[in-house]
Amino acid sequence: MAGQSNHELSLFSAEELEFIAEDEIVDIVPNLKMDPLCLISGDFGPFTPQIVTQVPLWLAIALKKRGKCSIVPPQWMSVEKLTQVLEAERDSQEMSEHLPFHYVEISRLLFDHARDNISDAYMVRSLIEDIRDVRFHKVETDLEAFNGRTIAVKIKNLSAMEVNIVRPFIGRALQAFYKHDSPDLIPDPERVSDRRPQVAPNAPRRQLRR
Amino acid sequence: MANYYDIDDILVEEEIVSVIFQKAASGVGIDPSSETDFIETGSKVELPFWLAHELQLRQAVSVNVPPCFNQKTRLEIQADCACVDLRSRCPYFYEFGCKIAPIVGDRTIGFLLLSAFKNRYREVLTKAHTAAITAGSKFWTILTNEEINLYETAQSAMASFKKWRMGGARFQIASILGRKRKPTE
Repeated sequence: MAGQSNHELSLFSAEELEFIAEDEIVDIVPNLKMDPLCLISGDFGPFTPQIVTQVPLWLAIALKKRGKCSIVPPQWMSVEKLTQVLEAERDSQEMSEHLPFHYVEISRLLFDHARDNISDAYMVRSLIEDIRDVRFHKVETDLEAFNGRTIAVKIKNLSAMEVNIVRPFIGRALQAFYKHDSPDLIPDPERVSDRRPQVAPNAPRRQLRR
Repeated sequence: MANYYDIDDILVEEEIVSVIFQKAASGVGIDPSSETDFIETGSKVELPFWLAHELQLRQAVSVNVPPCFNQKTRLEIQADCACVDLRSRCPYFYEFGCKIAPIVGDRTIGFLLLSAFKNRYREVLTKAHTAAITAGSKFWTILTNEEINLYETAQSAMASFKKWRMGGARFQIASILGRKRKPTE
């Protein structure tokens, strides 16, 4: 019974997505002197005061918490860029391609840990919320187009968090549509009639043994 | 028998259908209204689906179309699908429909199910992702079990996202830390 069983269709939780997003690279301005860090994912540093360097987001946050650096917000996280994106999102049904895959998580992390480094933080935050709402509404309208013949949906530039929210729902809905549109449900008259004599399935088995 | 252990599948097969006996049967007490243990040919009895199905395979009964797929319901579904209270008619409307369609040999049931699901799906989609959990409570009383499952997956995904966005405690306290030490003696 597809779409009925209780197994969890959701792959990631929001926290796990946040964890994945922490691997994104950001610019920081350190205020300490430190040798390069040699990690499995690569070498980061050297760290020299006031010289911009690139580190993964998790490292940036760790340093920021200790007051050892300030995080440079990414290019797209400016009021001007976000306003453009919002307008583009409102104008067309297509998803904008100017936002990174993890924009929801990155902005959340930066707002939590490096609020003082973001100029116009309040404005940026409300812009991102607006963009998210507009985009999610678009996803919904795309999903409304589902019918029995749908086997796949193509939505370009969907972000990680957006896809994660709708994933369980889409999975179930597609399963249900698949089930109700299967040809078994609408049987041909002759197939029903040859189903009636229930002895039939046994006959070929006997032949095989011979 | 693919869903032998599926509780929903078992419940679907508990649905009552009315059948007409094509053969006389004696020594069976399946008709509570009759005084004797004898069922005459042509008598109309209500049986659970699983029994009706087995008897129908042996050509002992003919199965009638259950009331949730009758003409009146169909007209209602055609008129305003999203507002029809399918739950009170049959909580397993779709699953039951899938099972009953080949038995009664009614090809239109398949189309009915598909079109009903298609239209109601849209309603579920918009309400599940937008409405607050409390506000939606009246809405889901008319959904069938399958639709409720769909609705709840969407709601729980949305709720867990909102919870994450609101933040709050980032670290979970190990259960042993919160516990009070037992008083010794």
